[in-house]
Amino acid sequence: MNKPLLEVRGLSKRFAIGSRFSSEGRRIVHAVDNVSLTVEHGETLGLVGESGCGKSTLGRSIVRLYDLTGGQLLFDGQDIGTRSLKALRPLRPRMQMVFQDPSASLNPRRRVGDLVAEPLRLHSRMSRAEIRTRVAELFKLVGLLPDQIERYPHEFSGGQRQRVGIARAIALNPDLVVLDEPVSALDVSVQAQIVNLLADLQEKLGLTYIFIAHDLSVVRQVSSRIAVMYLGSIVEEGPAEALMAAPAHPYSQALISAVPVVTTDAGGARRQRILLAGDVPSPLAPPSGCRFHPRCPVAQDRCRTDRPELRPHGPGRRVACHFPVTEPG
Amino acid sequence: MILSVRDLTVTFRTEEGPVRAIDGVSFDVAEGEILGVVGESGSGKTVSLLAVMGLITDPNAIIGGSIRYRGTELVGLPARALRKLRGAEIAMIFQDPMTALTPVYTIGWQIAEQIRAHQKISARAAMDRAEELLAEVNFPNPREALSRYPHQLSGGMRQRAVIAMALSCNPALLVADEPTTALDVTVQAGILDLVRRLRDRHGSAVVFITHDMGVVSELADRVMVMYAGRIVEKGARSELFGDPLHPYTRALMGSIPPLTGERPRRLPAIPGSPPSLLRLPQGCSFAPRCPVRFEACEARPALPAGARAAACFRVEEFQS
Amino acid sequence: MIYAILRRLGQMLFVMFGISVLVFLIFFATPGADPAARIAGRNASPEVLEAVRHSFGFDRPLPVQYVLMMKKIFITGDLTSFVNRGWKVVPAVLDAIPVTLSLVTGAAILWVVLSIFIGLVAAAWRDTWIDRGLMALGLLGISMPVYWLGEVMNLLSQSRYHDTWLFSWVPPLGYKALSEDPKGWFLTLVIPWVTLAILYIGIYGRVLRAALIEAMQEDYIRTARAKGLSESRILLRHALRTSLIAFVTLFGLDFGALVGGSALLTEVVFGLQGIGKLTYDALQSLDLPMIMATVMYASMFVVIANAIVDMVYILLDPRVKTA
Repeated sequence: MNKPLLEVRGLSKRFAIGSRFSSEGRRIVHAVDNVSLTVEHGETLGLVGESGCGKSTLGRSIVRLYDLTGGQLLFDGQDIGTRSLKALRPLRPRMQMVFQDPSASLNPRRRVGDLVAEPLRLHSRMSRAEIRTRVAELFKLVGLLPDQIERYPHEFSGGQRQRVGIARAIALNPDLVVLDEPVSALDVSVQAQIVNLLADLQEKLGLTYIFIAHDLSVVRQVSSRIAVMYLGSIVEEGPAEALMAAPAHPYSQALISAVPVVTTDAGGARRQRILLAGDVPSPLAPPSGCRFHPRCPVAQDRCRTDRPELRPHGPGRRVACHFPVTEPG
Repeated sequence: MILSVRDLTVTFRTEEGPVRAIDGVSFDVAEGEILGVVGESGSGKTVSLLAVMGLITDPNAIIGGSIRYRGTELVGLPARALRKLRGAEIAMIFQDPMTALTPVYTIGWQIAEQIRAHQKISARAAMDRAEELLAEVNFPNPREALSRYPHQLSGGMRQRAVIAMALSCNPALLVADEPTTALDVTVQAGILDLVRRLRDRHGSAVVFITHDMGVVSELADRVMVMYAGRIVEKGARSELFGDPLHPYTRALMGSIPPLTGERPRRLPAIPGSPPSLLRLPQGCSFAPRCPVRFEACEARPALPAGARAAACFRVEEFQS
Repeated sequence: MIYAILRRLGQMLFVMFGISVLVFLIFFATPGADPAARIAGRNASPEVLEAVRHSFGFDRPLPVQYVLMMKKIFITGDLTSFVNRGWKVVPAVLDAIPVTLSLVTGAAILWVVLSIFIGLVAAAWRDTWIDRGLMALGLLGISMPVYWLGEVMNLLSQSRYHDTWLFSWVPPLGYKALSEDPKGWFLTLVIPWVTLAILYIGIYGRVLRAALIEAMQEDYIRTARAKGLSESRILLRHALRTSLIAFVTLFGLDFGALVGGSALLTEVVFGLQGIGKLTYDALQSLDLPMIMATVMYASMFVVIANAIVDMVYILLDPRVKTA
């Protein structure tokens, strides 16, 4: 087996909020806390979790939009965790990012063709004519019409704008694309188009994705593996279908059970839900021991003091829980 | 019927010409039932219910048709009479709990304000009632929550406070506009549970607006699907989801990736995007995106009367 | 709370120190301006210059001069003017403060009350002729220069129509101390108050109207309507309070500046010996001790006004925490 495209070892990202002079003083948020994972060539790793779980921060740290607080980041075998931004530049074309809100991430005063051409001008030595051909090619690839190249972002629908964002991200033939909630802002009928487009592009161009989303059914659809995050850490990781069918961590179980699904059966049997008590605790003051224990339906004394490690749990799966709700296998 | 809407139209005058946001919408809500209204952005699901609440304040809006609440015509009702109903008999919950509460007053103050707007009781008694309401919507510490400001609560707790406020005068009809869209899924589960329990306990009718088919299918008794300002399909929950008639409903359900079972290699997506209300197609608004359109779709299909119906010329072919 | 007050105090001292050093340096470092030559007058002989230099202490090192001056302002209070020797500047400033405070406070009350009224009325009847009329009046108020308006007022009330029933109550120009003659104090200040306030009524009314109209678009206003509240209650209880934040910010800046001397034009027109007039005269004659004293006073006031504004913020909006 080849070496993985991306290896994250013990990555941490802390933010300081407030000022030293405010009444509460300077406080530290552990947005991402000691996360390790690997991403193989050509796969899609889905990162799921609720707001504030650190999935977006992790995604942005991986493409080094943030400086890391700790840990290692190996991209294609090279350590990029501590590289300066300048030293990182040659690698930038190989890692790209697509954001949630296509209208906020596109400069409204520039033509979309220009926006797609921008990374080519910055990172490649293509001539103007070559760039023009490449942009036309990219437009075709993401399902936009060539006569739309000269238009402005506001003339596009949400779905089309996201296509522009994707065209820009794949312009330089990246290896890794980090997609941060790429379909959350879109209408359901348009979501499916973008999900299909991403699958097609992956197949055609051999892309590797990190797909960050809160919508579990979308993540299950696109991912080969899924990592579930809670309060800055991965609580469970495994092959998409296996994890979703039989989650081992009580949090994953509750999360999956909370997703409302269309019940087509005429009887209308409603699925049994696991309701979690309380809210997600503040990452400013995470609970002791297992971070999930105050809300966990199966927590025991040990969980209050002893923080569980992410340990193997059956083939290709890892779970951070002292008392997993399923047997490994 | 607690609410009967007939031929409701809402037109906005704009610089680019009149925009018909709601076009001939008719529906009924029975006492104590939960009606789910599903649609994408621009489908008119929110505007139609804002019209019911008399909350369309845009001076460029023209509202036509009839909205009857327990026999009282609400269209053209004087503002004062409408205010007496609003908040007392018909209450509303909004999408974004972050912005739905006035930031500068405590939760208790805001709930008590609504109670005292409709009932002649002392400030003290109103506060006590507010505390009861917060307990009812599962605030862990209702007494303390009374003196909290909205920004001191999480999103889920704020939405609970908004719900407590909406329930403060025991409304007979509760309109909920995407109340869980801005919330996390585990929080959403709690809120849906709460809405269902409140209906069971107080017998209020609920109109629940959402874009999420899953939410509707778990909560509603009856469902109507809206597209481009019109109702395209309606029916009892089990009928509509068990055997959707309109091609749009079928396509919408198909485009949601399944949570269990086999993953399709590709999702059956609907091509294109919802039409702009400024440039609606002549006939059926869904025709340009419809996989089964034919010549007849140049004309506009009407929504037949009755509890179970779809506005499509080919309904019979699909009926099983 | 105590921490916050101490912090403010520290901030005030820092601002006053910075400004005093700056003023001091500008005075001595202004190119081609030997303070001794300026005081001694043109064509003074070197001996006279030397004597002046010695007697004013200009021959001592600058830091020493600075410390001496600060000591004379804050500790002994016996700093004297360079221009008019023997004239003690600290009492002069203390005498001028009540004049300016009376003028500005009265005008401020007038403009706050009237502009809130105008803003509310215009917002409640927005886009009607009432709104348009009030906003046009506001614009008129903003466009009238204060010195011109003041002179017109004087012309009307002091000479042309002084003997009619309308203005016969107006006393001659000048200031009467509140403690000695409350009625006279009030009567002499009525016209200056109105004159100074008109500009600010226009500005503040427009600012408040805009803030109110913006607030009325907020989601929580829709919630308030859904609660069945009356429009007037929604405007007064839900929209006004959040809208006052911009208003208060502006007020802090304007009030601080006016009390610090920006009411100069009004003071001159109405013959009021206030801080503005004092500062202006001192600048004319480059009288460092007087400039220093007025500037110290003004900077102190700006910082205090800002502290009060911050306190009002906390009252208005619980999201603002005591920092």
